[in-house]
This record gives sequence, C-alpha cells and structure tokens, in this order.
Amino acid sequence: MKVSLFITCIGDIFYVNAGKASVELLERFGCEVDFPVTQTCCGQPAYNSGYHEKTKAAAINMINSFEHAEYVVCPSGSCAYMFHEYESLFKGDSKWEEKAGKLKQKTFELTQFLTEILGVEDTGAEFHGKATYHSSCHMTRLLGVTEAPFKLLRNVKGLELIDLPNRHDCCGFGGTFAVKMSSISEQMVDEKIEHVEETKANFLIGADGGCLMNIGGRIQRNEKSIKVMHIAEVLNSRGEA
Amino acid sequence: MQKGTIQNSDIFLDNIAKSLGRERKETVIRPTWHHQPQWDVLANYTQNQLVDVLEAQCKSIHTDLIRTCKENLNETLLKVIKNFHGKTVMTSDDSRFEMFGLKDHFNEYKQREDIDVHTWDKTDGDTSIRVAERADVGITFSDITLAESGTVVLFSDEGKGRSVSLLPATYIALIPQSTLVPRMSQATKEIHRQVENRERVSSCVNFISGPSNSADIEMNLVVGVHGPIKATYIVIEDQ
Amino acid sequence: MPMHIGEKEFSSRVNKGLEDDFMRGAVRSAQGRLQTNRAKAADELGDWEEWRYLGQEIRQHTMENLDFYLKQLSEKVAERGGHVYFAETAEDANNYVKQVINKKNAKKVAKSKSMVTEEIALNDALEEQGCEVVETDLGEYILQIDDHDPPSHIVAPALHKNKEQIRDVFKDKLGYTNTEKPEELTLFAREQLRKEFLAADVGITGCNFAVAESGSFALVTNEGNARMVSTLPKTQITVMGMERIVPTWEELDVMVSLLTRAAVGQKLTSYVTALTGPKDETEVDGPEEFHLVIVDNGRSKILGTEFQEALHCIRCAACINVCPVYRHVGGHAYGSIYPGPIGAVLTPLLGGYEDYKELPYASSLCGACTEVCPVKIPLHEQLILHRKKIVEDEKKSGFGENVAMSGFGIMAGSSRLFNTATRMAPYLVTPYAKDNAISKGPGPVKPWTDIRDLPVPQKERFRDWFKSRKTGG
Repeated sequence: MKVSLFITCIGDIFYVNAGKASVELLERFGCEVDFPVTQTCCGQPAYNSGYHEKTKAAAINMINSFEHAEYVVCPSGSCAYMFHEYESLFKGDSKWEEKAGKLKQKTFELTQFLTEILGVEDTGAEFHGKATYHSSCHMTRLLGVTEAPFKLLRNVKGLELIDLPNRHDCCGFGGTFAVKMSSISEQMVDEKIEHVEETKANFLIGADGGCLMNIGGRIQRNEKSIKVMHIAEVLNSRGEA
Repeated sequence: MQKGTIQNSDIFLDNIAKSLGRERKETVIRPTWHHQPQWDVLANYTQNQLVDVLEAQCKSIHTDLIRTCKENLNETLLKVIKNFHGKTVMTSDDSRFEMFGLKDHFNEYKQREDIDVHTWDKTDGDTSIRVAERADVGITFSDITLAESGTVVLFSDEGKGRSVSLLPATYIALIPQSTLVPRMSQATKEIHRQVENRERVSSCVNFISGPSNSADIEMNLVVGVHGPIKATYIVIEDQ
Repeated sequence: MPMHIGEKEFSSRVNKGLEDDFMRGAVRSAQGRLQTNRAKAADELGDWEEWRYLGQEIRQHTMENLDFYLKQLSEKVAERGGHVYFAETAEDANNYVKQVINKKNAKKVAKSKSMVTEEIALNDALEEQGCEVVETDLGEYILQIDDHDPPSHIVAPALHKNKEQIRDVFKDKLGYTNTEKPEELTLFAREQLRKEFLAADVGITGCNFAVAESGSFALVTNEGNARMVSTLPKTQITVMGMERIVPTWEELDVMVSLLTRAAVGQKLTSYVTALTGPKDETEVDGPEEFHLVIVDNGRSKILGTEFQEALHCIRCAACINVCPVYRHVGGHAYGSIYPGPIGAVLTPLLGGYEDYKELPYASSLCGACTEVCPVKIPLHEQLILHRKKIVEDEKKSGFGENVAMSGFGIMAGSSRLFNTATRMAPYLVTPYAKDNAISKGPGPVKPWTDIRDLPVPQKERFRDWFKSRKTGG
C-alpha cells in the first residue's frame, strides 16, 4: 500500500522524531511511504483567523502536492482535518472544490489510518512508563477519531495508561488563539497540566503537534518533570523509555 | 370574546421576506420530519409499566408517589394532607372529586379532623385566590400524566383555577391511572388535534413536574421557591 | 447599547474576569454540575443525535418560513382576544410596553426572566417613567437587589456569585439576618417576592416558544415565577424575540424536550406553562388583558445570511456550560448579556463589529460548543465566518496581523519559499535559543514565549532526514 506522508509544518521543523516514528510504523505494516517534497503548511493558521483568500495558495499547493497520492496520512488530527476543510474553502469554485473533495476522501490521521485502513490494533510496541493521553479537540470532535489512539495505546506492552480527568477540555492551543488571547490560553493550559499532574503520570502522550507544543512548552516553562511525547513515538518504541 | 388588535404586521413581515430573498408566503405545508425519535420513547409500555416509570422518575423530582385504589383513596388522601400539616385545603372544582367519591368525605373533614376544604369558586374569584394563597394544600386531578418526566398536565377552565396548583404551600395531584401516557409528545399531539379540529385550547395548560425549585444559588438545588414547597402524587387504579 | 455590559475594552473585561477568583471558582463548579447533568440526560434519552437532527430540521424549516408562522401566530392571538405589536427596534418595543402600562396606570410590574427584555433594556425604560419593576427569577432578583449587577449567564444569571456574596447582598439591602445556606436565602426571597406578585398591576414575561397554530406561548421555569406572573396581575405583556416560534404543539414538545435537557439536564422543568390569550371570561385567575410584543431588533438582518443558523438558538446555554474560555473569563468579559460561544456569535450580529470585533476570537475553536448544541448550530464555524468577515469585508484585523498573514500565505503557498524559510529558521533563532528551547522570543513569537517555551527548530528537518534516508538506504 502506498502512503504519502503529510508531515505538517510543526512536524517538519519541531517534532522530527514523531515523523521518523510515523514512517517506521507505516513501513512495519507494509506501507511504502512517500514524502511529497513540495508540501508546506496546510494553511490552518490563516484559515482559522479568517484569512480565507490568503489560505488558498497554501491549499492549492497542498492539493497539487498530494494529487497523485493513494492515501494521505498525517500524524496530526488537526492538520488532517484542515484537508477536510478545503472543500468549503473552495465552495463555488468547482475545479478546486472537486479536487479538495478527492483529497478529503483519502486523508487520514495516523492512528485512524492504522486502525481503520490497516486494521492494526497492536503495533507490537513496548514502552515502560506511566502515561496519560491528551485527546485533541479537532481530532476527536471534527475528524471524529476518538477510540483509535486508546485502542493502540492499550496494547503497548509495559505502558500504564491512566485516564486524564476532563480529557475533553481544550488545552488552550487553538492556533493563533494561543498568542492572540494568551492570558486566557495560559489559564487553559495550566488547568490541563493540573489534570495531567492529578494522574501522577510521567508521560503525556498526544497526537497533535500543536497541543504538544503548547502543553509541553508550558510544562518546560514551569519546570515540571512530565515528558511530552507524540503517540507515534510511543507506538514505535521498543522498550526504551 | 372580542378580537384583539395587530399592529405593524405587514411592514415587519415584508422585511423578513425580503431578508429571506423572496415574496411573502401565504401557505406553508409543515413537512414530515425525517427523524422522529419521540414516538419510540416508552413505546408499547402497558399502563402498569408506565406507573413504574412514573414512580422511578418521581424520585428524581423530589415528589412522593403513592399508589392506591378507589376504595382506599379517601384514607390515602387524608393521610397525605395530615402529613403536610394541612388545615386549609383548596381543591379545583372538578367533577372527578364526586366521581371518585371524595366530595362527601370532604364535608366530614371539618368535623372529624378540623380540616377546612374549599372548592375553587368561579363566582367569587377574589376569595378563591385569597384562600388559595393561604392554603396549606392544593389538590387537583391530573388531566394527562406523563410517565417519562413525572408530569401532571392541567387544563385550566372556570372550575380549574391556575392558582390551585400554584399558591398553596404544598400540592397533591390525583392521578387516575388511565391518564398515563409515555411522554409529552402524546399530550401535545392531543392539543394539536384539538387545534386542527377547531376546538378551543385551554387558556392555560400547565405541565407540572414536582414542587417548584431553583438552583440559582451555586447550582444547589433548593426545593420550594415560588410555587409549592412539597408535592405528592396519588395514583389511582381506575381500570 | 442596551445589550452591552461592563467596561468598554474587551481586554480590561477579560483581565477583570481572570483576576476574579470567587467568580472563577463559582463558574468552574457550576459548569461541572451542568455538564454532568446534561450529559446524563442526553444519555438517558438514548438517541440524542436523532433528537438533535429533529431539532435542527424544525428550526431550519421555521426560520425559512418565519413570516408565515409569525403571521399565523399574530392572527391566532388576536382571535383569542390578545393584542399583538410587531416591534422593529428596541425603542419601538419599549414604547409600546410603556404605553400599555401608562394606560393601565400601573405602578408595579412583576417580571419573569427574559433575555430579550434585557437586550432591549425594558427595565430602564419603565423605571424612567416611574414604574417599579421587580425581577422575580431568583437569580435575576439577586442581581437586581445588588444594584443591577448584570447577568453573566443566560440560564443562571447570578452564576458568578457565591452564596456568601448573596447573603451579604440580602443583608445589606434587605436586612436579611439568616445564614448563607441556599435554603434559607431562597425562603427569604420567596417571602419577599410573594408580596410583590400579589401587589403587581402588570406581569411581564419572556417567551421560550410561541406556537403558531394556536397563538399560544410556552414559559419554561423551575421556580414557578412565570406562573405567578401570568396568574395574578390583571394585565400581562409577553415579549418575544421574533425567532422564538414553532409551527405546532408537536414541535413545541420537541423543542422543550431539547431545551430542558440541554439547559439543566432535566426531562422537563418543574413548570412548563402554555398560555393562549387572556383568561376566558368565565375564568377567575389569569390576566384580563394580554399583549404580545414581537421583537426584531436586528434579527431580520441575520436572516438570509450565512449566520442564519444563529437564530436557531433556543437559549439553553449548553454551549456556555462547556466553554473553557467562558470558564476562565466569566460571562461579564463578553461585554454582552449574551456570553459564551453563542454570545460570541450573536452579539456582533446584533451589536456590530465596532464594539464586538474581539468576541469571535475569544475561542480556541475547540468545538465543544458545536458538539453539545441541541439544535446543531455549527458555533465554532460561525466564529470562523465572523473572523473572515472582520478580516476580508470589514478590514478590521489590524495592520500587523494582516502583514503577517500575507507573509504566511505567500510562504505556505510556495514550496520553494517554505523550504528556504524552514531551513533558515534554526539559524535565525540561534540568538534566542538556550537548552533547545526559546523562552524569550522576538517580535511575533513574544506572546507565545510570554507564557511558554517554544521548541527550537531542528537543523535536520524531517524532510532532510527522509531525503538522506532514501539516498543513504
């Protein structure tokens, strides 16, 4: 099965290890992984801020970059969902609306792809540690991926997974919200970290670079000892923790 | 009854039509809704099963439910009134008090128990309201009873004053078992039927589910705000 | 601006909210309870999604045919002897109510809770002409006693106050001597308000839903105050936003079932009172005279636009009860009697972007609001639409952001520029980086690093690794 990886700008620049782990995971389950080098950013920061015209160049570039892909897999629920939004971005422009529709059909978030398309529930991973999982808003509410990460994580050998209280609360990232409304975002991320601390977990696992950057950045600022990891890294690990 | 006035209708409604980008509509057919889950709720439940549902729901609306039969009704009712420390009672003027044999007993209450039972009097409204306002207990029959939500539905009329179930400190609803339906849908369907048949809809239809309450202070539920502080339902087997 | 509450500047309102620990504690615990109750009620119903679809379909159909249903409603009300006044503006509505009250020579008005009368500032208008207005919903009453503190929630208006604060208000203003126990406070309010109900000349209510087919309207309460207001005074005036209508009693059932579950997690509230016209001539209690005021006040401008769904709102506050932004800043920060996600959508539509252009940004777009809305209003999408309008039509987004987004758009649209920029990034930030993190970022990064660290861009990007792996392997 041929898979084109949509790495996301955050994944490309900041969370390189999550990308590496995604590739290795997909290959382990028989996928041939391709990386269309013309890909950039999905344009979500501009789109969600209301700059829809200014989003279109990015969207067109991404549609072109992945035009020939059989499947598009993305290690971020929010960015994967942005590909689903292109259709409404180009509403009324039949050429691009149609192309956007095709892209939507073949775009999946990583854990969604593993469970729904590849039928994987156990990645064979081994990871020793006490962890909790942050459910990202866009991935769960908009993309509708709720159970896949839990299914996969529950089968990781050595992993003690603890429920995160109020797990459906937003971490306060929200793209430009984090900078535009930083004082509110601060309260939200602190509340999230409080809940993480209640679990006494050593690791916080997430499936969205944006949320991890926000929660991880705040954890680091406040010198807490919780380590933040992308789910691909955990699902790809072989006992080293 | 004299017709009321309507002011500014056309300019206002024309403006709406304009916003909607069309001419005014003179007829609209109400569509058949694609989803109608309301009819599945408690569908095919027997009257007895509905009483069970009602009883369970009463627990979450702070309402006592007592089952009785016609023969024991008077005794049951008297017990509840005494339990509410009722000295003054206001009932609606409803032929069912006679039908269920309570009317005669009410006359004895005064002599035997020192309980004053007043009946809503349409010819002396001010007194009726004043008595209801000071009464310890208000008693009405339920016209339709909704099992799901623990609701008695009362249609007001000249004998069935709005105040009887509202102003007294406590409230007792007499519920003939045959008035039970699954939920609000059946009651509103009946009212819709009345409208379609050009029957007159009661000026006040009350759906009452237990005593009045409020959670306005720190979301703490407090029972008894403006309406009755306590409520009891008496379900009467009548089939 | 009658809808407006609090200070003018959004940022100062937000800061005030963030600093109010009492309020935040109260809101946090209230949200917790309300969320749990709502979720439980939805679960008990089993097929909640079906109900939501039904609610959405009913609201859609009703809005699309609003002129027809309002006409039917008005004719039916008149047939039953009620008077109907269509008010285009807040001022029109207030003037009509004042006129009725003058004609009755009324001195005291008892009011049950109504958002639309808050919106049009009816109380101020009546008080100006020397009429005493008594709010009878417990929450509203507390606020009124507390020198007209504005409501912070559309269902529980005094949500921002804790019981100690309420006790102090009663003590200072009414000579209350008991404790802060909610039972004692409530009993005290009951006694005070009972006198008011009996003395009121006119009752004013809002309207949860009007029923077009019979000219009826339903009032949904737990306290019973709306029943009092519609039972004791001789004259009753009901004020409704023009969108608060259903075609028939069958739809009333559905909307009320959705409302009570979504709002407070109840199957039905203690009282749902459906009134049709004034009392019959042979009836004893109930109003002798009935007036219905149907208010536009900017709503028709929303019809026919991409924001039409905002008019589907049934004022249940479920979106407010799940909103994390609301939880931290509280209702007053929104500067409007309509707070939370629905407020952020509705307020700029009714009050304009000039005063409310920040509100659509007061959301992380987490979508919790959209998920719980009982009539499926896509609230977070409506917020994005607002942002689009502010940016692209109103050009109110600010020079800096516009330049930044233009730059972003060009870069993200060009793989060559993107590639260059991401390759250069690690070198550009070197002066700011320490221990693989940036804690004091420059320019646009500053608001981010004000509260959290930013990871350092990697010199070997993912694409570099992938390329070398391919060529190496």
